[in-house]
Amino acid sequence: MSSSWSEFKASLKPTVKEWKFMLKKLIENPLSIAGVAILSAFVVIAVFAPILAPPQGDDPFMIPRDWRILNVGVLEPIPPTQDHIFGTIENQYDLYYGCIWGTITAFRIGILVVAGALLIGLLIGMGAGYYGGITSEALMRFTDIIIAFPGLVLAMALTIALPNVAQVNLSLFICVIFALLSLTVLVLRANPRITAISGALFVITLLSYLYFPWTVNIGINNLDKVMIALVIIGWPGYARVIRGEVLRVRSEDFIEAARASGCSDLRIIMKHIIPNSVYPVLIMASLDTGAIVLTAAALSFLGLGADQGYADWGQIINSSQHWIGVTNVPITEYLHAFLIPGFLIFMFVLAWNLLGDAVRDVLDPMMRRR
Amino acid sequence: MGLFTYVVRRLLLMIPVLVGVSVLIFAISMLFSPYQRATLYVRNPQALNPRTISGIIAKYNLNGSMFSQYFSWIGEVLHGSLGWSTTVRQPVTTALLERFPATFEIVLIAAPVIVILGIWLGVQSAVHRNTAIDHATRTIAILGWSLPSFWFGILLVSFFYVYLGWLPRGGRLSSPVQSFVTSASFVRYTGSNIIDGILNGQLWVTGDAILHVLLPAIVIIVIDIALIIRVMRSSMLEVLNKSYIIAARAKGLTQKQVINKHARRNALIPTITISGLLVGGLITGLVITETVFAIGGLGRWAAQAALNIDMPAVLGFAMFTAVVFVISNLIVDVLYAYIDPRIRLE
Repeated sequence: MSSSWSEFKASLKPTVKEWKFMLKKLIENPLSIAGVAILSAFVVIAVFAPILAPPQGDDPFMIPRDWRILNVGVLEPIPPTQDHIFGTIENQYDLYYGCIWGTITAFRIGILVVAGALLIGLLIGMGAGYYGGITSEALMRFTDIIIAFPGLVLAMALTIALPNVAQVNLSLFICVIFALLSLTVLVLRANPRITAISGALFVITLLSYLYFPWTVNIGINNLDKVMIALVIIGWPGYARVIRGEVLRVRSEDFIEAARASGCSDLRIIMKHIIPNSVYPVLIMASLDTGAIVLTAAALSFLGLGADQGYADWGQIINSSQHWIGVTNVPITEYLHAFLIPGFLIFMFVLAWNLLGDAVRDVLDPMMRRR
Repeated sequence: MGLFTYVVRRLLLMIPVLVGVSVLIFAISMLFSPYQRATLYVRNPQALNPRTISGIIAKYNLNGSMFSQYFSWIGEVLHGSLGWSTTVRQPVTTALLERFPATFEIVLIAAPVIVILGIWLGVQSAVHRNTAIDHATRTIAILGWSLPSFWFGILLVSFFYVYLGWLPRGGRLSSPVQSFVTSASFVRYTGSNIIDGILNGQLWVTGDAILHVLLPAIVIIVIDIALIIRVMRSSMLEVLNKSYIIAARAKGLTQKQVINKHARRNALIPTITISGLLVGGLITGLVITETVFAIGGLGRWAAQAALNIDMPAVLGFAMFTAVVFVISNLIVDVLYAYIDPRIRLE
């Protein structure tokens, strides 16, 4: 009896596993291989940055300057030499160092912004889709408004509006997080132990907020502002897609079945809704990473992003741009200063776009299995 | 539902979005100090001295409740006053109107090329699926999509201006032409050099203006055409699988007739819907290219204003672009309903 049951169970499994199928499809596509290869090269550069370009100051993201040349009074970019294998940019910042550490900056911007937007979008979109009603409607109107702006323009406005220092009451912050958690757990009718733990944590943090408030001043530099602005602009897109997907999945029969068999809301969301609605968002995230790095670079180019001397590709191009077309100097003299960092941005964005394209073709039910 | 009812309904739906846009802009302005916010109510340079500013803060109750501030601000906006731009020493509304033609000129050259060439390339790519043509088009699209516009602009300048010396570095006109245009013998009808050159019968002015717009337009075309190619290709592929295409082929129509008369027209519908998004891409592209090519349009002004933390200018520009974006999406929707009557019935 038991053996026939296990045989039956085995026969239910697909002959080709989902992830194996996906991997196979990805490997078959030359474009996705190119994307993965370029991206891996960037990962290697980012991981080995401290070896490839050893930091010289306290902050590894500040590009070292050549004071010997600077002290002679030379400010203009200098073509590649023995000391500076990529040459230097304006004010004698070493270009090679800037390019290597700029890779980490690019990854940091892309990943942090997408992760932040994805997290907020996921929570809000999921809630709006699952519970519907007025909140859902209000959310959609709000996303309409954010989407009514061209991203770069709204990012420009937010970047200049955000303060330089944020005073954060950490105890209040933690307290609010636990309050939200307890509320979610209560609403989702999760099991009593989780409810008790989150409730207790909320009470403890509330007491600590009332009697030992803990305030810190967090400095926000220009690059952080750019990232915060991009998260604010990015999340509505994800919330919208997630909400649509949840609405689609919610009306499926297997959700009814799960509810009928007594699953809690939390379990239905975690086990049934998320796995069935998350793919389109993942594709979106992959395609978005390139676009976000591009927008951040554009803001840096406009002078709104990283400060001068910070290892950021857009910033390097910004400080190199006005050396183009300087009269009586051959173009090759300053070419390196914008050619190399620009090419790196281009390849970085290209890699993410190639990857996103390939992943979309693999995961999109309309395109696959053809 | 008739087309008229549909248009009216869409117009009414536009109002809450515009109100929302104003609330968002107001919320951003609240992140600034009352002193900075006071410049939103300034109409002439005399008002910029500290005493008048304190007067404005008191008059509009800028330290008071958000609610009353929103209404006094929106009142100003509805009267066409968006504050004072310190970057260009002009009221924001004047600056917007004055710089619009320069920006519009670039769009005038770039947009038709993006739409027509994009549709054509998308059709070619789909019809010759998985051939060299298809691969080449898709590669161009994805390369253009990934190019940093500012870098591409700089590359074009260094090649066509510095290396070859064929095209100007930037600006709107060469200096002799500029002095002719500002002289009394040249009538400014629209503020656009290309159009005014034709209207004045001075085609060499038009020619010089086009030469200056060429490189920025190329940058915008290469960056933004990818979107149209992509959507046109996939929608064309979908249409080509439809049974009415097989019916058209079975009827004995030539390939040209099938593609031009039956497939392309139907495939255009999704492309029109996303062309609303194109406006956003254009505006973003213009901010960057105008900065690279030193063209005194809206985008460069906004970029400079942001650098100087000239809040009324940046917020005025943001509001302007949002309104343009919302209106162009309205036009796209109406166009869509006109082409595809099924939409109106929903």
